[in-house]
Formats: sequence, C-alpha cells, structure tokens
Amino acid sequence: MVLDYLASGLVFSSIIVLGSIGLSLIYSIANFANFAHGDTMTVGAYAALVTFGATGGLGAGLLGLPLGFFVALVVGIVAAAVVAVLTEKVVYDGMDAGSIELLITSIGIAFVYRAIIQMGFGADFTRYDVQTLRPIEALLPYGIRVTQHDVAIVVTAFVLVGGLHTLLQYSDLGRKMRAMADNPDLARVSGIRTDRVKLWTWIIGAGLAGSGGVFLGLYNQLSPRMGFNLLLLIFAAVILGGIGSVYGAMLGGFLIGMINQLTPVLGQLGELLPLVPDTFAIPIGIEYANAIAFVIMVAVLLVRPRGIAGEGA
Amino acid sequence: MSALSDPRGYWADLTTPERGVVAAITAFAVLLVLGLLTGALAPAYFLYLVGLAGMYALLSFGLNSQWGFTGLINFSVAAFFGLGAYGTALMSASSSPIAGQFLPIFGLVAALVLAAILAVAIGIPTLRLRADYLAIASLGLAEVVRLIVLNEREVTNGSAGVRGIPTFFEGWPVLETLPQQLPGIFLQPLPGTRLVFEEPFWSALLNVVVVVTFVAGSYAILRRAHRSPWGRVLRTIRGDEDLARALGKHTYRYKMQSFVLGSIIMALAGVFYAHLNLYVSPSDLDPVTTFYVWVAVILGGSGSNRGALFGGIVIVTIREGTRFLNSFEWIPVDVAPLRILLIGVLIVVLMRYRPQGILPPQRELIWPSVVDEAPDQPTSGVREARTGGKDD
Repeated sequence: MVLDYLASGLVFSSIIVLGSIGLSLIYSIANFANFAHGDTMTVGAYAALVTFGATGGLGAGLLGLPLGFFVALVVGIVAAAVVAVLTEKVVYDGMDAGSIELLITSIGIAFVYRAIIQMGFGADFTRYDVQTLRPIEALLPYGIRVTQHDVAIVVTAFVLVGGLHTLLQYSDLGRKMRAMADNPDLARVSGIRTDRVKLWTWIIGAGLAGSGGVFLGLYNQLSPRMGFNLLLLIFAAVILGGIGSVYGAMLGGFLIGMINQLTPVLGQLGELLPLVPDTFAIPIGIEYANAIAFVIMVAVLLVRPRGIAGEGA
Repeated sequence: MSALSDPRGYWADLTTPERGVVAAITAFAVLLVLGLLTGALAPAYFLYLVGLAGMYALLSFGLNSQWGFTGLINFSVAAFFGLGAYGTALMSASSSPIAGQFLPIFGLVAALVLAAILAVAIGIPTLRLRADYLAIASLGLAEVVRLIVLNEREVTNGSAGVRGIPTFFEGWPVLETLPQQLPGIFLQPLPGTRLVFEEPFWSALLNVVVVVTFVAGSYAILRRAHRSPWGRVLRTIRGDEDLARALGKHTYRYKMQSFVLGSIIMALAGVFYAHLNLYVSPSDLDPVTTFYVWVAVILGGSGSNRGALFGGIVIVTIREGTRFLNSFEWIPVDVAPLRILLIGVLIVVLMRYRPQGILPPQRELIWPSVVDEAPDQPTSGVREARTGGKDD
C-alpha cells in the first residue's frame, strides 16, 4: 500500500515540480508572485488537446502514448511560452509598478486566460483521446498500481528537469540567469542584458508550466480551472523550497507532491509503524490533503521564510 | 454644499472623474427607472439587486479598511464572508446540524464573534509576513477554511449547504409579519405595464432597509475611524511601515486591529447574504468572491470608502448584467466566462492605466473644517515671516 502511495506521489510530484520551477524562476527574476502561472499550465494543456486532435494516433506508440502525443506536448510547451511572452510584452513590461501591483495584475491575467479557454472549450471536464491503460502487470505483486502513462510523465519530467539543470549549470544563459536571480543590479552593471535574460526566464518558466499542464491533463482530466486549482500547491512547493532557488523548487515540489499523495497513510499509521498500537491514526482524511500543504506553507513562511534551499531573505 | 440645494456649485466643485461618476450613476439610475416603469425589471428583483450591491459595498468597506488603509493584501475575503453567512445560518436555520432555531440577531452576534476569532487566528501567523507572502498565505488559509466547511458534515452539513434560514426580522415585533400585513398595490404607470407590489416586494424592501442600515453604520464608523489619529497611523503603515515603526508605533498591533475590523465588516456582509438568500453552501466560499471584491476596491480607488461603494455597484452590474445577457440567444459564445473575462480585463486595465482607481481618496480623509478654514493665500510671504516682517 505504502509503495503504491509513494509511486503515485512520484507521478504527482513530477507535475508539481514542472510547475514550481517556472514559478520560482519568475518570482526571483521578474520579482513578483505570478498568480497566472497555474492558468499558464491550463493554456499548455488545452493547446496540446487541440494539437492532439489533429495529430491523433500519429506514429508508433511509446509508453502507451502515440508519438502524436509528444508532438502535442511540444506544442503545449510552445503555446504556453508564447502566451506568457506576449503577456509579458503587452502587459507587465510597460508597467512602472512594484511587486504588489504586478501580483494583482497577474490575477487579472489568470482570469483572462481562464475565461478565454472556457469560452472556447466549455466549463466541462475533457480528456485526451488516448486509451485508458491498465496498471503495469509486473508491478502489481508489489501493490503498485501505475500505468505506462504515469511512467511517461515521470520520465519526461526527469528529462526536462535534467535539461534545465544542464542549461543552468553549463550554458552562458544559465550563468546569466543565476547571476540575475542573485543580484539583478550587479548583473546589469556587469554587462548582462537583463531584459533578454528576463524574456528567456519567461520562456523557460512558462514552457515548463505548459508541460506540467499537459501531464496534469493526462494524469487527471482537463478543465478550465485545473491550473488555478493547482496554483496554491505550487506556491506551497516554491515557498517550501525557497523562492528563487530552482533546486529548492524541485525539492519543494517533490515533497509537496509526496505529502499530498501520502495523506491516506495518516489514517493507517498504526498498521504501518512498529511499536504503536494498530488503532493509532492521525484523523486527517484525504479531503484535507491540500489543506495540509497550505498549512505547511504558512508554517514555512513563519519559521523559515527563505525555505529549505533559499539564500538570505 | 449639498447637491440638492446648490446643484451648480456642487458640480463646479467636483473633479473630472467625480463628474464622470456622477453622470454615469445618473444615467444608470434613469435606465433603471425606465426599466421599472416599462416592467422590464420587476420591482422585487430590483430591490434584490440593491441588496446585493449593498452586500458588495460592505465587503468592499471591509477590504478597504485592510488594503486601502493599512496595505494588507488579504485574499481571504471569501472565507470571512462565508463564515459570517455560515455563522448566522447555523445559529438560526431550521435545518442546522448544530444549534439552530435561535433568533437571527443571535446569529449576527455569533457570526461576528466567529469572524473576529478567525481574523485573529489568521492574523497572528500572517500579519508579520512580507506583503506578497501575506497574499499567498491568506489565500491558502481561506482555502483551508473552505475545505473545513465542505468536509465537516456533522457541523456544517457539507456540500448540501444549510437550508431553512429565516429572514432577518424573524422574532421581532411588528417587523416579522409586516410584509404579510402590508396591502398588495397594483400600479399602471404606463399603458400596458402593470407593477405589482405584494409580499415579496415588501420583504425585499425590508432586506434593503437592513443592508442600508449596515452600510450606513459601517460607513459612519469607518469614516470616523479613518479620520482619527488611529486612521492616520494606518495610512502611515501603508505608506512606509518602517517610518511608522520609527515613530514608535507598534505596527503589528495596528495591523491586527485593522485586519479584525475589516474582517468583521466582511462577516456582516455574509450575515446579510444568508438572510437574503435563505440558503448557504460551501460554494459561497469560492475564492472568486474575493477577487470580485478586490476589483470593487481597486476600481473605486484604494483607500476611498465612497469609491468602495461605487465599486460594489459596478460589480453587481457586471455580475447580474452578464446573467441578463444570457437570455439573448444570438450571442454565439457562452456568457458565463464573460463575467470572469470582464473581471480579469478590468483588473489588468486598472492596474496598467489607473492604479489609483476612479475615485481616489481626496478630501474625505481630512476633516472638512481643515479645508474650509484654510486660507486661499498665505497671509504673509515666507521671506516676510523669516525676517520678521521687515522687507529690505
């Protein structure tokens, strides 16, 4: 049982991590809490939905998904990035405003994204037109019920996160981004074109969010509210990891995703732990899985506002 | 200078945005009266709209005293609103799973006390945080409150909501049965239209009396509070918290007072809503309510109570107006998202082009006597004053 929770935790964590990296990057480089980030994920998911309708069962399957799905994934990433860059150019860029004003503006942006998607696709839940798979047989004896789709989510997330790591550590752009996250003014006077770096931050952050949205749609369903509903969990992950730290966001996303999926364990602690009676349990049901993450978030803000990996406040 | 006794002087005294607002309100009122006279707008429904506008005005007052005056980014408006509604509903409703059947006036007291307790509970951890952290944390805690209301079925009836809420005046002498006793009146202001004033109209009228009382009371209290030294400290905190601290003010305490005051006013709106709608459900705690109220405050002008009043009216127009659009068959798109779209576009346009809102606070924060008694020209020049009147 616990293995199963851990496995689904890993899948859910992958989605949260993809969302939280982008949010953390934008928080540190554009310097505001982007409340439209969740809806950027929704944009990616729906762009992939449209593309997948066209590319359909293109090509052979990989991990239970036709190649057309990976085309749709790329389109979802690109669409999210394009939408975010356009928003940055049209709205945020010209604003002479502090982080609070930008935060409030981003809520408006979030509503605009959501409303447009709802106008085009309706408020109902939809799914990608892929076959629902049975859990992988080989893992069933261990009590783990994951499908090939879940494996595809985790593997692709690892590839994307690995790519980002390489970019940040070994490329020129990555060094500039880290420099700018550390100290924007210093980066600027040392000759880095900060506006260009900022634009790339939006592209990378929103692109990752778009991929997270596509996977969220594959993992659950698509609805115009899917991203907004996940937004607070992503904030919790970013804050837990430490705002501005990409690796902190990865760790925070992993922890929040795990905690979220491991909530049912709280009710079975007695059976799982040695040395405590079998009836022992923490009476918090799965309906409070999100609430636990929010309380952790507030606690982290209070006790250690720079999070696990963040440097100085 | 009143608008009635001296309309021309009143008009000349207004700023350009104020003139625009006065003109828009007049035009809107004319439109409403026309709608009433032609029978397009039922009188009872019109009064319901007035009630809703009052409710949003109350919510905006509450948020205004937190954000507009003290600069607290509170994204848990919906939680306090819902708590107020649930507080009075659980006390007074016939289907309440816990107490039930108390008089609504006890429900009012219980709801406000609950809201104050929740405000302190949310305020203790969050008010020390940086402004943008406060936004995220308060949104998260509001969601926690919503989840509790949704899932604690033994206490709140869960997703089924609470039905059978009495009207606000139940158990009061005279007022309780007044709508039934008043006669039905039928008017025919224009040929072909027929206006009906019966029991639903009279009870809606009573609701409007309640909300107008609430709004007027809150307005008077807030106006007095914000002109007082206490209000000046709050505005200093908003402008520069370090400055307020350097002046020896215990800013955390002031922020907490402002937060609790605003939250109580939001809960008051919730109490009114419960007795207007006679049914509450967890969907009333949806975070979108929070952002409606934010739009109202930003639109009206942060820190301005009459702006908040104006914003509340605009929000109800958007909310109910888009519902009205729904009846047109020829509109190709689904109208439900139009409301969210309008709200979103309003936020972006306001923050981009007019962050101070339409009616930013001007004279209303200053005692009128200070303005009226101030001389137009200094009685003596600066140099004169410095040199003691001798000019060489």
